[in-house]
Amino acid sequence: MKIIVAIKQVPERDAQVRIDTWGKWIDESDVQYAMNESDAYALEEALQLREKHSGEVIVVSAGPERVGTTIREALAKGADRAIHIDCNDLNQRDALGVARLIADAIREENADLVLTGLQSDDLGYGQTGVILAELLGVPHATLILHVEKTDTGLKVKRELEAGWFQEIELPTPAALTIQSGGNKLRYATLMGIKKAKTREMRVVTAAALDGAPVAVLEGIALPKKQRSTQIIPGDAKQAAATLVEKLKFEVRVL
Amino acid sequence: MISLSATLAEPQSFTLVERLLFFLLILVSGALFWRRFGPIFHKILQSRKDPDFRLSPIARRAWDFFTEVICQTKVIGQRPLPGLAHAFVFWGFCAFALVTLNHAAVGFGMGFLDPGTWLGRAYFFLAAAFAIACAVSIFGLFVRRFFVRPIWLGKKASYESGIIAGLIFLLMVTYLGAFFTTDSAPTARLLWWIHTLTLLAFLPLIPHTKHLHLVLSPATIFLSRDGFSQIPPLVGDEDFGLVTGKDLTQLVSLQAYSCVECGRCSEHCPATNTGKLLNPKEIILGVRGYLNEFGPTSEELLLGKHNSQEAVFQCTTCGACEFQCPVGIEHLPIMIGLRRGAVNTGAWEDDYGAKLFNQLERGSNALGISALERDKFIQKQELPVFDGSQEYCLWLGCMGGYDPKGREIVASFARVMNYLGTSYGVLKKEKCTGDPMRRLGNDLLFQQLAEENLKTLAQNKVKKIVSICPHCVRTIQEDWKAYGTPPEIEHHSEFMARYAGRLPKQNSDEKVVFHDPCYLGRYRNVYDAPRTVAGLAGQIIDPPRARERSFCCGAGGGLAFLGEETGERISDVRAQELVATGASTVGTACPFCNTMFRDALAASEAPPQLLDIAQLVARGLPSAEPNLNGGPKA
Repeated sequence: MKIIVAIKQVPERDAQVRIDTWGKWIDESDVQYAMNESDAYALEEALQLREKHSGEVIVVSAGPERVGTTIREALAKGADRAIHIDCNDLNQRDALGVARLIADAIREENADLVLTGLQSDDLGYGQTGVILAELLGVPHATLILHVEKTDTGLKVKRELEAGWFQEIELPTPAALTIQSGGNKLRYATLMGIKKAKTREMRVVTAAALDGAPVAVLEGIALPKKQRSTQIIPGDAKQAAATLVEKLKFEVRVL
Repeated sequence: MISLSATLAEPQSFTLVERLLFFLLILVSGALFWRRFGPIFHKILQSRKDPDFRLSPIARRAWDFFTEVICQTKVIGQRPLPGLAHAFVFWGFCAFALVTLNHAAVGFGMGFLDPGTWLGRAYFFLAAAFAIACAVSIFGLFVRRFFVRPIWLGKKASYESGIIAGLIFLLMVTYLGAFFTTDSAPTARLLWWIHTLTLLAFLPLIPHTKHLHLVLSPATIFLSRDGFSQIPPLVGDEDFGLVTGKDLTQLVSLQAYSCVECGRCSEHCPATNTGKLLNPKEIILGVRGYLNEFGPTSEELLLGKHNSQEAVFQCTTCGACEFQCPVGIEHLPIMIGLRRGAVNTGAWEDDYGAKLFNQLERGSNALGISALERDKFIQKQELPVFDGSQEYCLWLGCMGGYDPKGREIVASFARVMNYLGTSYGVLKKEKCTGDPMRRLGNDLLFQQLAEENLKTLAQNKVKKIVSICPHCVRTIQEDWKAYGTPPEIEHHSEFMARYAGRLPKQNSDEKVVFHDPCYLGRYRNVYDAPRTVAGLAGQIIDPPRARERSFCCGAGGGLAFLGEETGERISDVRAQELVATGASTVGTACPFCNTMFRDALAASEAPPQLLDIAQLVARGLPSAEPNLNGGPKA
């Protein structure tokens, strides 16, 4: 089974972000990066499928040179090889643009399965995987927690609202977007990192690929701090209790 | 009755047959000794060289040798009565070195210590005094081993120990007997021969039993690493810790063969004492067993043969074993080495461990909480931000920045510093020091965390750090050295003890039982400072196991993050011990101990209050702070 996992490097969960002077992206000077969380789960799913059915796991990631660290982390966790789409303007590309970059970079691999995370932790479009499937001309399913290989294709478990799950079958080749939490993630090891050095990381330049944006990012903004007034109903005792509750759990000043 | 002119009787002449027989017996005894000892010696030499070994500073080694070998400080200090008995046997052996050499020389007519001379007489009488002490001691030790039978010596009494004790006793008796006869008497000849045969029987027994420590442990102590729990660096692309036999270094092999199986490590081990699989003695003997079966060039995995992964990951790294080992075995580098071997290769599969590692691959703290919460805490407490102008950087650590109890400790300590007028600030961002990763053996993550933190500290031009957490202190000061030069750091107990004279003394007869944190005591050798500080708030009492022998809270070695323990909870056992002292307050100096006891004490009926030393001091400060950073109130 040949599996391609598209991963994205995003600001670390605890990064303190500031908007840069252009107002179109965050100031990257003091930010540390990590693998997008749901992509980490997509990689885990791919590695487990390979362990069960053998085959190959290829990771693909678009972004500037720094993306190399996240690619190496994926190789360290067990991916066989990697494709790095070198581009410095990833943030300014829309989901269609990014999906086109990835589709062009992986088309010739003719993979049985393409996995992406459900959405990115920074922009959160949640579309790249779905558009990618369309561009590759393969069926797709989203919000996947578990993938099982069957004789005819795949059986997957989807997460629905309100604690419901859906199981569906689809043929291969296919593309799936993976939801966080379906598996337990393995940790990166020293031995993995050392081995990763010897694995192939092919760099393709974005210029050689098609990826012009349709939607243009005009600007980003931090969430506004809101001041609001609430009237707490009820008698004094009841109102006081509600107030304490709110101060404790909503405003968190107690 | 022995007369004043009496001295040691020695046969004056031996026949040629006797001499030949003696010579032959020496050869046989020596050959039997080497037949067993040679392969062991070879295995030690064949092991991988220790990459970080340096003979200097030789003065430290000489001092360790003098105190631990010659003076037997650890043997006596940790078990006074049997320790003293052992010391007398050892000193007896030392005194006998010359006697034995002369004894053998006499057999070839070449005796050099003449019992007739003043000097010879004096020496033989001195040796006789040691012989009596030695004989009494070995008899006492025999009674202890076979009749008193402390459980730490093992369930089965080893019969070899009985034989060895008998031989030693016989050596002493035959020596002393020679004072009661004359040179020409047949008894003298008989005693000489019995003494000789005993010696020659003793020699080959040494490498066959744990008495191998006679030969090895002086070297083990002399060659031991500099400092407590020194984790060796990984060298090259193939070094992941102790994975296979090939990774065992000469020091590890030497230590494995030096174990005398006294069980002191097990006696003090929190895991062994709470019904877990781990027994530090068995870990060391496991390495020995592996060396015997597979050797130091084998590519068989170390874990799963004579040692189990489960046991190795039950260690809290409290260091009680390493601290008291009388033969110089360093358990922590071995234990952590085995963990490194399992974690660095991905062989360790543990849901909690993987979660912890993943949290720190992506986030900043071991508790897996958003860094925003730390910012909120800093704002709420109005902690000044470090900008390079202040004297101290107050390192919050994961517990101080995110744990509710830890935050209380930080808040109290900040009040103390405000009162003293110390200038300090906290960093805008901090990452876990990597302590749990270091102890669990995840070198990849530990290195990343250490390097990122070192970079942040350098960017902020931090010169001095103070922290409420002994784990942070130890990791920053010692373990980060592998990746850079950390700033000066001290624990808040040391800081407050320095200013104890300027802090208010509370008029209170409240009894405070102080629990020594492992990473402050055994790791940092700080015992008095927290007592001085807590003493400002009440009367300090010690639990039965205190100071160097303090019993762990169960949180160290990354275990605080690894889910439920098997057997009894270590924290429960310790908490009960603290409650039993009758103290109304439990004083701690580590946020991990604090959090462990918070849960464990909740189970007791009328739990004593639990306070960090900073909280104990802050309690006595005037409630309103007159001027922040403005010096003590008049």
